[in-house]
Amino acid sequence: MNSVVPAIGFGIITASILALAAVGFTLQFGATNILNLAYGDIMTACAFMAYVATQAGVNIWIALVFSGLFGALFSAALNRFAYVRFIRRGTQLFGMIILSIAASIVIQNILLAVWGASFYSLPVSQGRTFHVATMIFTTTQLVIIAIAAASMLCVHVLLKFTRLGRAMRATATDAALARDCGVSTDRVVDIVWLISGGLCGLAGAALAMNVTSITATTGSEFLIPIIAAAVLGGVGQPYGAMLGALVIGISSEVAAAVIAPSYKEVVAFVILIIVLLVRPQGIFSEIATQKEVVM
Amino acid sequence: MSSSVQFYMTTILVYLGVDIIACLGLNLQFGMTGLVNFSFIVFQAAGAYTAAVVTLGPSSGNGGFQRYVGGANWPFPLPILAAAVVGGLLALIIGLFGLRRLRADYQAMVLLVVSLIATTVANNASGLVNGANGLALVPKPLQSTFNLSPLGFQWVFALISLSVAALIYLLVRRITNSPLGRTLRAVRENEFAAIALGKNVAALRLRAFVIGGAIAAVSGALFVEFITAWSPASWLFTESFVYFAALIVGGAGNNLGAVVGAALVPVGFLEATRFIPQFGRPGLVDALQWIVVGLLVALFLWFWPQGVFPERKRRYPPSRLRPSEADSPAPDRAPEMSPGA
Repeated sequence: MNSVVPAIGFGIITASILALAAVGFTLQFGATNILNLAYGDIMTACAFMAYVATQAGVNIWIALVFSGLFGALFSAALNRFAYVRFIRRGTQLFGMIILSIAASIVIQNILLAVWGASFYSLPVSQGRTFHVATMIFTTTQLVIIAIAAASMLCVHVLLKFTRLGRAMRATATDAALARDCGVSTDRVVDIVWLISGGLCGLAGAALAMNVTSITATTGSEFLIPIIAAAVLGGVGQPYGAMLGALVIGISSEVAAAVIAPSYKEVVAFVILIIVLLVRPQGIFSEIATQKEVVM
Repeated sequence: MSSSVQFYMTTILVYLGVDIIACLGLNLQFGMTGLVNFSFIVFQAAGAYTAAVVTLGPSSGNGGFQRYVGGANWPFPLPILAAAVVGGLLALIIGLFGLRRLRADYQAMVLLVVSLIATTVANNASGLVNGANGLALVPKPLQSTFNLSPLGFQWVFALISLSVAALIYLLVRRITNSPLGRTLRAVRENEFAAIALGKNVAALRLRAFVIGGAIAAVSGALFVEFITAWSPASWLFTESFVYFAALIVGGAGNNLGAVVGAALVPVGFLEATRFIPQFGRPGLVDALQWIVVGLLVALFLWFWPQGVFPERKRRYPPSRLRPSEADSPAPDRAPEMSPGA
């Protein structure tokens, strides 16, 4: 049982990365109602952008910011030039699911075509290590946790204390009503894609820094835990996604330590399936109910 | 014809038969009933494993280098039938807990995760179907019985797979044109209207899921009897996407469209281009193929969302149950199904 406490330490790091990604995912799904299954692959693309930046001699932390910017612009462009246009053209829900998988496959294989199936690593020096109880953190990991916590705080301030945040919440809850009240929902949706993509990029770079090596499928393997965290918390609910990320992150690392490493991802699968079948609207359910995820 | 050309042609014909069967199965689920079944490939895999295990003989055979459950030496048509049964049962089990009344994208997500779980289980439970290495050296059916030459076997098997495809086509067409098919389309178009008419939507969906699962298993069984090996790498969830791509290109909801889609995407595009010379780094051509498949799907969703052969608009004569309406001289008021999803 003495492997449990260190595993919780790993879990907190995984949860931080997961929280960045899941909050981005859930904000976007809540506001736009598009299930973007290409999210994991955008994460990988961002991680590779961070890699390119560091290869060009840029400091790793600036590369992380660059990765976030790339994610923001790429996601907004994917929405503007693909998703929104298909919806306006009358593509229905079935079509949009297929389209987002098509986007995922195209992005992943562009990465494969350019970088091949080999592994790449960011030049991260892990710094000195810190011991908390029997948990061990490196400096880099502590910075990742700090970035995640700071991002969550920013999201909180944005949503609760700014006009834009209020407009975002209004759009997520009822887009038609928000439009009638004078909220420019198209602009809000663009901004949501930017924020979501930015968080996705930060998560991608943080993941690459933590797992030490990335390949073209790194992000898509991370997609199910992201969706699991978002759905567990209630889709469209950033606070729910944070909670979901903590639960999934810690429980998967503890399962890996106590049962077997191959069960790490199974935990996320099982939690996602159970939540979808028992309580698909998640823990915080208002928005999910509004979106009629349960018919 | 030189024998290498014959080998190539017969191989393509076998693939064509297998992919037509699979596309017809998915068309029943996705095209007709509107189930976005991203675990489709799991049922093909289940069929392939079943057929392999019941033809391979006991697990101690071949020096016992493969570990798997069961093991028998059944003669040819039985493995295919066994696969159909197992595929149907598996679909029943997964359908019973997986087909809840969720929004279509949530439903798709559940089934996608089922596919990922199945891959993880097959990879890690090494005693089940030999783990990540998969099964190999599956005996080719009829070859020893009739003492066929390798080329003779190719032609016989091409014939078998195309005949089975024809049989499945007739079966699925019969379902499409029956009252069951009409009800399935009603479930797809407007679930609540179907419920209001007293249809048991959950049972109807499950029925389409089970029939489609059995058909998928038949395609997998035929495939493994031909290529003689099967492993988790053959059925990653992206393979399901190839069949969706085939239906979107061919025309979802139209059985002829499913056949044409099978000929165009998995066979015409992915198999027939297998022999273009490799260039660049290893895997580059594969990656480019996937990119083109993804773009092809987007292109069709944009320009021809109904596919090459759009679903037939079905018109039904005014109901004979209400003579007052049937007598009225207004044929344009005939109830009409809206075109496909």
